Amino acid sequence: MARVMIVDDAVTVRMYHRELVEALGHQVVEAENGIEALEKALGADWGLFLVDVNMPKMDGYRLVREMRAGEELRAVPVVMVSTEAGPGDREQAWAAGANFYLVKPVRPETLQAVVRALAGEVAS
Amino acid sequence: MGLVRRQDGRQETGAPAGTVERRRRGRGLEDLVEQLRDPDPQARRWAARDLAAHPEAVDALADALEAERDPAVRAALLDALAAIGGERVAERLVPLLRSEDAALRNGAIEVLQGLPEAVAPHMARLLADADPDVRIFAADICRALPHPETPSWLAALLARETHPNVVGTAIDVLAEIGGPAELPALRAAAERFAAEPFLAFSARVAIRRIEESAR
Repeated sequence: MARVMIVDDAVTVRMYHRELVEALGHQVVEAENGIEALEKALGADWGLFLVDVNMPKMDGYRLVREMRAGEELRAVPVVMVSTEAGPGDREQAWAAGANFYLVKPVRPETLQAVVRALAGEVAS
Repeated sequence: MGLVRRQDGRQETGAPAGTVERRRRGRGLEDLVEQLRDPDPQARRWAARDLAAHPEAVDALADALEAERDPAVRAALLDALAAIGGERVAERLVPLLRSEDAALRNGAIEVLQGLPEAVAPHMARLLADADPDVRIFAADICRALPHPETPSWLAALLARETHPNVVGTAIDVLAEIGGPAELPALRAAAERFAAEPFLAFSARVAIRRIEESAR
């Protein structure tokens, strides 16, 4: 089992992604923005972060830059999940240090395939 | 930290000497506007902070915001604009919803959420914008906009919207701020988007949350 952080200011998105990730046997922690995610992330092992781009207080790009700049979260895989589908949005995600980029709304099988690839699967 | 006004060059507050020097610069409107272009980010930040007391500086602050790259100075500029408030601030920040810079855009959204009366006249146009991203950000403004019309704006958006991400944002915001009056729009959306797993899920969640809170 991996611990997966879901960072999104939209409650329905967090709930939807939680159901899909928990169905794979992983433990989920939710955060509404980048600052809350960093606070909750400290001192634990993480298998994956699913990160929205547009959030108040600290957006997703900045969150990923902060993760990559520190020691503790530098190697944690990050999937950015955004409504924005332009090539510039993906480039910003890569530049920040994201490992994968998904465009909302994400098909359940797509999200689960990416989570499986990066964090594995426990449930059958 | 208090201002340092002593003439003998000694500090009264324990502030670093460089800070003292910067704070000794002119603090009139024109001086402060000039300092928004200072090469030193600390000087720009102090200028932005002090310009919060000058409503006539809205355009200078907004111009500086568009050019500023330092996050701390940006935050000071946004704080100053939020403190001044009013129609001109809304007029200058609404175009930033089209910015490619996520941090700038989100900062603008947060300030606009604090200006309900000034933002309200813009909402119908923003929620009908040709660019779906702008419609999404407009719906995001509604998430924390203390205005009585907000739920009905989103219900109307939901009734006509076809872009899945705009629909998803409207549903999500209604899940937080909607009431029984918005249930018909949400039920209609659940039916229209039954084949879209995320939208069907989020509409069910929104309906359930509203129904539970109404009991």
